[in-house]
Amino acid sequence: MAAAPVLTEPTLDLSWLDLYEDPTNATPGKKGLTLKEINLGRYADSARGGGDMTYRLRGATPRPGAHRFGANYQSKAEVWSDNCLMLYEEAVQRQWSSARDIPWDTLGTLPDPMERAMCQLSTMLTEVEFIAGDVPGQFLAEVSAQDFEVGLFLMSQIMDEARHTEVFRKRALANGGGLLAQGQNGLRTLIEAKNFTEMSVLMHVQAEGFVQSMFRLGEMIGHTDADKRIFRMSAQDESRHLAFGVMHLKYVLDTEPQRREEIHHYLDKADGDGGGASGDVQLQEVFESLCILLGGGIDKFDEGLQKFLVLRKRQVNEYMHRLEVAGLGDRRQRVGPLLAQFLD
Amino acid sequence: MSQAPTQAAATMDVPQELRDRARELGWEDSLIDQALGKGFSLQEVFQALQANIDGASAKNFLATAQPGGASIVRPEFKWMTVPTEWGIRARASDPAMGLTLADINIGTYGDVPDVWHNRSEIARGSYPKPAMEDMGYTIFEKAVVWADCVVPLYEVAVKERWSSATDLNWRSLEALSSDTERAVCQLMTELSERSYYEGVVLGKWLPEISYGFHEMKFFISTVIFDMARHTETFRKRALSNGGGLGLQAPTDYSRVVEEARSYPELLATLFIQDSTLLTLFEHGDDLAQNQVERDMYALCARDRRRMMQYQVERLKHFLFKMPDRREEQNFYMGKAESRVMKEWTDPVVNEPLAILLGGGRDQTEAGMAKLASLRQAQARDYVENLRKATFTRTNLNQRLKELVEA
Ligand SMILES: [Fe+2]
Ligand SMILES: [Fe+2]
Repeated sequence: MAAAPVLTEPTLDLSWLDLYEDPTNATPGKKGLTLKEINLGRYADSARGGGDMTYRLRGATPRPGAHRFGANYQSKAEVWSDNCLMLYEEAVQRQWSSARDIPWDTLGTLPDPMERAMCQLSTMLTEVEFIAGDVPGQFLAEVSAQDFEVGLFLMSQIMDEARHTEVFRKRALANGGGLLAQGQNGLRTLIEAKNFTEMSVLMHVQAEGFVQSMFRLGEMIGHTDADKRIFRMSAQDESRHLAFGVMHLKYVLDTEPQRREEIHHYLDKADGDGGGASGDVQLQEVFESLCILLGGGIDKFDEGLQKFLVLRKRQVNEYMHRLEVAGLGDRRQRVGPLLAQFLD
Repeated sequence: MSQAPTQAAATMDVPQELRDRARELGWEDSLIDQALGKGFSLQEVFQALQANIDGASAKNFLATAQPGGASIVRPEFKWMTVPTEWGIRARASDPAMGLTLADINIGTYGDVPDVWHNRSEIARGSYPKPAMEDMGYTIFEKAVVWADCVVPLYEVAVKERWSSATDLNWRSLEALSSDTERAVCQLMTELSERSYYEGVVLGKWLPEISYGFHEMKFFISTVIFDMARHTETFRKRALSNGGGLGLQAPTDYSRVVEEARSYPELLATLFIQDSTLLTLFEHGDDLAQNQVERDMYALCARDRRRMMQYQVERLKHFLFKMPDRREEQNFYMGKAESRVMKEWTDPVVNEPLAILLGGGRDQTEAGMAKLASLRQAQARDYVENLRKATFTRTNLNQRLKELVEA
């Protein structure tokens, strides 16, 4: 770099005009100009060079003398998921508004125990969604700018989780109820993660997987159009978070198979001896409120329990199926007894 | 269950999972049916199994227990009667905005405390458990993070969402002269990196903030998402019209931001970038070579304006609540200003702007003159934004001062 001239110095440096030869001409596809269309040539993830602990985005020319920042992952396999470009763009396209996209006027008077059950479930969910925003934030700086699409995906997840947190808070405060008892524990496991893959398996695959299986039963849990739609819209977002986690795990197992046992070890902590991390529906308040909602009344608790068992079974089996897709099917033999009892 | 158990329970199908679990715990095969026959509900059986009650204890218990009597597994729906504020029926005050965060900030749920004491992850207004693990938040003072505008700005941000993939007319791009295209691309490279870094650093601070101030965390989440969108928008522009990425952005200034040891320091150092980039984008029409770029700068400016409003109101609120920390801010701002001024003398930062403002490589002299006025506007807006936040720099950077006074 030439010595820095003053602002109006007439002699120009212009060395930056000659940094590359090849012109790049990305053209929009069916879904517009997405990250996929610009993932080409020497800018593509497949052409990823080594990282340098600066925020130089993939394909930019290194600046002599650039400061390094904190340590981040040097290898792509630590963070990558093949679907992250598509998932980020989908997130941008499918943002929704809890204020305007939920038909709040369809909330009606529910019997008191039903309203209380919905408010208790919402209290638990508004809490659970907090952590799902904080954890990606904690890991952002550890993602190399060489893999910036992963960073963009995590940023979209932070936005999604903010919306989930507030939509459940709004629900608790919109129908004559209020927030009830603090529900969760076990969330620390997620923010205790020290490694990206550990975080992603525990949060994206397991915890968000459990939450997703619950959201997908939203038609049975919700008793108003507003409630059903909250679950449906949130499930749409969770499916992206989950898909990232499953494909990240697959990428790790495909490219670094020696990490298999290590990954089991993380899961042992989360599902080996307990019933599952966040998204666990067996906590007293959550279990009881779900049974009331699924049964359709406090007097139909036992019917609710039958459906609750269906939900729990679905949670566990879908979780196992996702692990199989990612290449960790041998988890089936290792899950703790509280999950194993629900396996098909 | 405290209600009378139903007869239906006695005849209902017992799920196989429950029978399997009972067998694992050593329950006699008929014990579940005996319990149901005695009037216990399936739920009570389930909870006994969840609690890992072994076969002998279960049999013992059943020999003496009566449904409705004391039970180690009897649910009490305790959560139904916790003393939280009840009877809240929030309604949209403005139909165009829908049911907003402001609408639900009613009763005690709208009380944002000056100091938040709960170290666990808890929703403001819910009933705390007697003991919970510390989640590790470090920021518990409202004065440090809060500005009232975060409540409405969150909803505005959600409403003003846009997509670079489909909201910009990429197909309308036409070839520019090589030097001009490369000038656009060099600027895009720099802006993309600056946006990405700001998203990362805000994300890094997010887990530090406790949940008494959730609206503020929601708002910052929208800013982080804005930064993601700006990152990829600028990158898309660099890679779509015959150019490419240029030299990475200077790192002097970003390192100052990275070095922040507290949230007020972080925001004090980001203040100058948030302000000067907003001014730059507001001059987008002078820089733009086509409609795509004009639209791009306008959309980015709209996003940046929200962050700037937060910056101004947060600083004002902070200085009002913590006047003893006023002088201290000069350290952080001085440091940030000096690095930005250094970067403003970097030819790789200046020359692309001069080419774009001047209208071509052969017009750089005119371009440099226009750049001088742009820098002056940036400097003046920065000082004006500080003034709106009630802050006057005691030792404003000399170069900035010259620009302001020129
Ligand atoms: Fe979520
Ligand atoms: Fe999620």
